[in-house]
Amino acid sequence: MSVEMVEIHARDHEAFLREVHSFEFWFQSVEGYLVEHPYGVDPNAPIPELENSEKEALIATLSTYCVGEVAALDGASGMIGFAPSRQAKIFLATQVADEARHLEVMLHRLAELGVTDAEGEFEVRANRNLLAFRERLGEFVEAKDWEASLFAQNVILESMEFAAFHSHMQSADSRTAEMLAGVLKDERRHLGFGENDLGRHLAQAPHARRRLQEIKNELDTLVLATFEDSQRALGVPASERSEVGRLYLDTVARLGFDS
Amino acid sequence: MSDFLNAYSIQTWLESCPQGYLENTEYGHAPGVKEPDLVLENPTLRKEAIGVTVQLVVGERCALAASSGLINCAPDYPSKRFLATQTLDEARHVEIFTQRLFDLGVKKDELESVISQHANPNLVKFAEVLLEKVDKGDFLAGVVGQNIVLEGLAFSVFEMMYAGNVELNPKFASTLSGTIADERRHVGFGENRIGSLLLEQPEKKPEIEKMQKEMTYYMLATFADRFRGQARVMEEIRRIVKENALEQKSQVWHGTDLATADAAEMEHVLADTVLKEFKTRLGRIGLEYQTPAQP
Repeated sequence: MSVEMVEIHARDHEAFLREVHSFEFWFQSVEGYLVEHPYGVDPNAPIPELENSEKEALIATLSTYCVGEVAALDGASGMIGFAPSRQAKIFLATQVADEARHLEVMLHRLAELGVTDAEGEFEVRANRNLLAFRERLGEFVEAKDWEASLFAQNVILESMEFAAFHSHMQSADSRTAEMLAGVLKDERRHLGFGENDLGRHLAQAPHARRRLQEIKNELDTLVLATFEDSQRALGVPASERSEVGRLYLDTVARLGFDS
Repeated sequence: MSDFLNAYSIQTWLESCPQGYLENTEYGHAPGVKEPDLVLENPTLRKEAIGVTVQLVVGERCALAASSGLINCAPDYPSKRFLATQTLDEARHVEIFTQRLFDLGVKKDELESVISQHANPNLVKFAEVLLEKVDKGDFLAGVVGQNIVLEGLAFSVFEMMYAGNVELNPKFASTLSGTIADERRHVGFGENRIGSLLLEQPEKKPEIEKMQKEMTYYMLATFADRFRGQARVMEEIRRIVKENALEQKSQVWHGTDLATADAAEMEHVLADTVLKEFKTRLGRIGLEYQTPAQP
């Protein structure tokens, strides 16, 4: 007896993308983990006490994270104007709200740690390599370069944040870990969008790969230097500091970009 | 400044909007609700609904471009965070009005051609005046143009449409009610934020007032096209509605019964309402309303 082969998961790919890049999809996704969690945390959970040295290290790290979130906020919002489709614009609008929320919850955590003017101080305390990265991303967005902006923002920066937050969560105090868990859920969505859109683009324009590899090589230097500085500040032993860098490189490698 | 901006935080937005009036909705209305059969089956009503919805999509696309474009030039982080919520609100509006076009039978691959066909050229020019300021990174002009002029226009238009649809098309009315709630928030930010910035940069007033005058001209021209140009269609629609035993009860909006008013009366009440609110809001922030030429 012959059996007709059918694709049991057959689905119009365009329709799938329209769904997962929509406001409705974002709305349903975030409701799950943001409801009753103001500023990304359980309001009834006690705030952990930290030693002074731990607190200072965390303040420096969160300040660096804030710079990353502002870079992503400015990047995603700037990209809406030249995004190639309505769906991409709408997805980026959800990303804009996510990044603004990340900035807000991190500033809130800084205030909990006793920083009286978190907004005014975080750039002063932030890592200079990440500040340089932010400037470079801004140049791509200013030039309305979709390919470079999407790669730098939704692949490089998001992979960097994914690796950093994922690693940090393993050793963070419970409050910070909970906040980062919600942020990570959003970053996965952003990374997925970047990988999907660029993956399709590279399939149609393989010559773009060389250019993006050059951009990656340039940005890797800044990313890995930021990791080294942040890990040292957090007190991670030298022998373990390369883990977060490896996680970052492995994440980017999914698109076929080698280190 | 930061006290009032706390009311525009992401957390406040999350609690009032997605966790508030959007809960249990789908594209701004109850899940599964459809456009009325009469609208879908009658070519005149359907074409009118498509034409009106296209203008809403055009307006919201402009608002999305403007609010997202202003984030980079915002002078402080609370303003950036507020504009982030507005960006997502506007994207949602683009999505729900685009979805309405699909619900009205516009095919996905025809969307852009339908929009090009129906978009009012004066509304397009209105958008261009605003987006020129945004592209130059002019935060002050951009927020006045967007959050006072555009949002003020949208707020009154949506309120009027809501009044006209609440009985005949509950789905569309429900969609509009969520957008009205959003626009109220957007207008509030404009008024609150700009006053203090204008005190710091009074030399920008003439340029901003000139922009307001130009945008108001194109807004009034859009109304003229809609009401004067479509008067016969509007009468035909009333006849069809009455013929189908769907007589609308009196719907008084700012003193005018929308169920019986003619096109000229409707144009007048809408323009009058919008302009009165412009004058009030502009005056509150220290700007003088500039009267444009009559289109």
